[in-house]
Amino acid sequence: MKPAPFDYVAARSLDEAVGLLGEDAKALAGGQSLVPLLNFRLARPDLIVDINGLSELDRLERDDGLLRIGALTRQSALERSDLVAAGWPLLSQAVRFVGHPQIRSRGTVGGSVAHADPAAELPVALAALDARFTARSPRGRRTLGAAELFIGPLTTALEPDELLIEIEVPRPPEGTGSAFVEHARTHGDFAVAGAAAVVGPEHAAVALLGAGPAPARAGAAESALVDGAEPGEAAMLAASPVEDGARRALIAELVRRAIEEAAP
Amino acid sequence: MLTGRSRFLDDLHPPGLAHLAFVRSPYAHARVVSVSVPQGAPGLLAVLTARDLEGRARPLPIQVPEGADAADEPHPLLAAGDVRYAGQAVAAVVAESRALAEDAAELVEVEYEELDPIADPAASDLELLRWQRSGGDVDGAFASADMVAGGRYALPRLVAAPMETRGALAYHDPARDLLTLWCSSQDTHRPLRNLSHVLDVPAERLRVIVPDVGGAFGSKGPLAPEAAVAAVAAMDLGRPVKWAEDRYENFVASYQGRGMEADVELALDGDGRMLAVRARIRADLGAYLLPATAIPPHTAGMLMAGCYTLQAAEVSVTGVRTNKVPTGPYRGAGRPEAAYFLECAVDDAARALSLDPVELRRRNLIAEFPHRSPLGFTYDSGDYGRCLDLALELVEPGRAAGEHLIGTGVAMYVERAGGSFEAARAALAADGRLVIHSSTSPHGQGHDTTLAQIAAERLHVDPAAIVLEFGDSALVPGGTGTFGSRSVTVGGSAVARAVDELREQCLRAAARLLDAPQNEISWGEDGLTAGDGRTLRLSDLAAAGALEAVARFESELVFGSGAYAAVVEIERATGRLTVRRLAAVDDAGTIVNPLLAEGQVLGGAVQGLGECLSEEATYDEQAQPTSASFADYSLPTAAEVPPIAAAFVESPSPLNPLGAKGIGEGGTIGTPAAVSNAVADALGGRHVDPPFTEDKLWRAIHE
Repeated sequence: MKPAPFDYVAARSLDEAVGLLGEDAKALAGGQSLVPLLNFRLARPDLIVDINGLSELDRLERDDGLLRIGALTRQSALERSDLVAAGWPLLSQAVRFVGHPQIRSRGTVGGSVAHADPAAELPVALAALDARFTARSPRGRRTLGAAELFIGPLTTALEPDELLIEIEVPRPPEGTGSAFVEHARTHGDFAVAGAAAVVGPEHAAVALLGAGPAPARAGAAESALVDGAEPGEAAMLAASPVEDGARRALIAELVRRAIEEAAP
Repeated sequence: MLTGRSRFLDDLHPPGLAHLAFVRSPYAHARVVSVSVPQGAPGLLAVLTARDLEGRARPLPIQVPEGADAADEPHPLLAAGDVRYAGQAVAAVVAESRALAEDAAELVEVEYEELDPIADPAASDLELLRWQRSGGDVDGAFASADMVAGGRYALPRLVAAPMETRGALAYHDPARDLLTLWCSSQDTHRPLRNLSHVLDVPAERLRVIVPDVGGAFGSKGPLAPEAAVAAVAAMDLGRPVKWAEDRYENFVASYQGRGMEADVELALDGDGRMLAVRARIRADLGAYLLPATAIPPHTAGMLMAGCYTLQAAEVSVTGVRTNKVPTGPYRGAGRPEAAYFLECAVDDAARALSLDPVELRRRNLIAEFPHRSPLGFTYDSGDYGRCLDLALELVEPGRAAGEHLIGTGVAMYVERAGGSFEAARAALAADGRLVIHSSTSPHGQGHDTTLAQIAAERLHVDPAAIVLEFGDSALVPGGTGTFGSRSVTVGGSAVARAVDELREQCLRAAARLLDAPQNEISWGEDGLTAGDGRTLRLSDLAAAGALEAVARFESELVFGSGAYAAVVEIERATGRLTVRRLAAVDDAGTIVNPLLAEGQVLGGAVQGLGECLSEEATYDEQAQPTSASFADYSLPTAAEVPPIAAAFVESPSPLNPLGAKGIGEGGTIGTPAAVSNAVADALGGRHVDPPFTEDKLWRAIHE
């Protein structure tokens, strides 16, 4: 489990990093997914562009009504942030399910998003919060929503020469509450299924983990909740597209619990 | 270890060290058409294929249990004509670093012709092992029975997953013609014997050293095939060569445990008396017979009479070949399988009789010892009823229906431990140190503490004053090995004997030096004192001349036992399982060190819980491993461990001076059976095999 040979550059600027990325190059942030893939020789880039020195990407701040999360923000920083706990509690709730403390102290929020593991928690929470994702390439910047970004398992709309640089998260509507629940076979393991919910007067957002190839919003359940449906009823709607009976039951239960726990 | 001063195999960096990596088959079954070796690569030193081993190294020997027929299908060191499992080593590459060796391994071109693999043992008619035994009038018992109950029960294959993977470092000293193998192993004895066989080199030309070992759980018993290849490479190159297994190799190429299924029938009379048992055990042995592959199924078979006063028993074992890595001993090694098969059948029988499973057990427990089981084992001592009482008292049974299904399960076990021989040398060195060389060696159990305690109690000295030496075949006396819960029982008894002999020598020497009759010398904490009060300290004795005693201890098998009980909760909506409480009552005879003994129980119980909750080595239809990393193979964490109440019943064994039995495996034996019975209880009597994943339990409830 030693990686195949590669060249390594510690990028000193965002421009340099973006200029180096491409078909045969990979950005290294926290390394919690990339390094195992390298060691298994499943990923064999010619070049590793280490972005850990780009401090401008390591920031977590409030900008008007938005939370701006630099892509290099460590998961542990998100977990410990009072700002996040007060204004975007769903992120604090979800990040605790990411691996173990050692993993969160290295792993980055941007890495979780760009890697797009279908069992990852942060993409699901960010989808429920209507987050926007900004990427840079030599061609410039562009910003995508979760539905555009997450295409499938380990697949995003990012081009090989694009680097995710920032995530902006709008403040949840006044009076909403949130919850993240999941089932993993063991603590810190990849989730089998999970659900994120943000609910309040006139607002409902429900995102599912493990119901499909990518984080998915449960639109029918959200509409039903806004129209006054009970949590159990909305949960059934959210889970109904899932074919396997056991998984459908699990997701329905997790969604129900997320909605109930989220109730402000 | 906590101060970071341990030295494990991969911490050894002798000058001139070269590193070994293997080319492993991507196919589960294929003909090896050709192997093409690169002519050069950065840092490449050598490539070995099966052809290079011809006439120089034989496959590992096969240990055949008494009365068994085993196929002559030993594990080749490197694949020759065919590969039979994904991950099997085809070529060995030696280079200046492990990374360079892995790079060069990619340049070895192997042409394969794919063959159909067998993943499902039920689809295999290739027998590797056959054994059967019966005792008593089985047919008569079944003919006279009022009821026959039982079922089919299966335990999946498991990965031992020691924190430190396997590994070996070999160096051949041409001047002395001595091959030294540092080996992450459970003991020196079996690797030494295996290496002597493989290389056809007398044991005097070999030395095996076991450095600190980060866990084994049975998986580091016999010599690893890869370690033998490292030895050949070291002889070829004249340099030390190290193979430090990585985690991926450990998943695909280190032997796995369990993988057995049984059809069990119990014959009972109308009063709930068990008359006889019949069991047909099938084992998924994998591609070859490694040295110890045949042992666990045989042990499972021999223990199928359990703790009960059966008149008759008939057991057959069939081990079939599949295209998977072979199986071998994994903590419990046949004992958890036997307990699971029999104890689940007892619960099914209780339900068929509408009898409380605890009451059915009570009516049938063996109460007189020694007891000869119809399968031929002689149980030396025990108090099975007391174990059962205590387990129930500790677990606080519960049962409920509704949104949360709660159930309670119990399981009894009896296990074979000890047996064969160990040896020890106890010496009072000239500098006054008390040094004990023990033939059993630790890999996490705390031998230093336990064996020092045994010696200290007999010599009236502080345990801290005793130095234990293990793990070097050039220094320690011969022995059998560290496995089968035998270290205290057999190794500790050898230490006790050696120390008793040393004590005699000390008394004689003191009598001489003090010019006093030996029977007037008393031994106290200050030293040896004559009748008139003159005292010699041990250091005074040592100064007058070193003393040394060697002892060997051998005994028949001893039989530990226990009762486990679990309370589980299943969420009806999702099938999610929570183990609420676990009670572990073990009778390992006289307990030498309660803290370490409890540690063994808790560790074993957690491994048993892992087996219940999440662990399973899985393969797809092409026999490709699909759980070959910790991302896919989930070990339990502290968060899944319920409160465990552990207690001991102490029925001393009459077979050794310590009265000890063995405690290394009880937790893994009792836990899966107890939890499985609790799950069946919560499900209203429906038996399901582990692991109890949410989808499996949901289907049991809703389909």
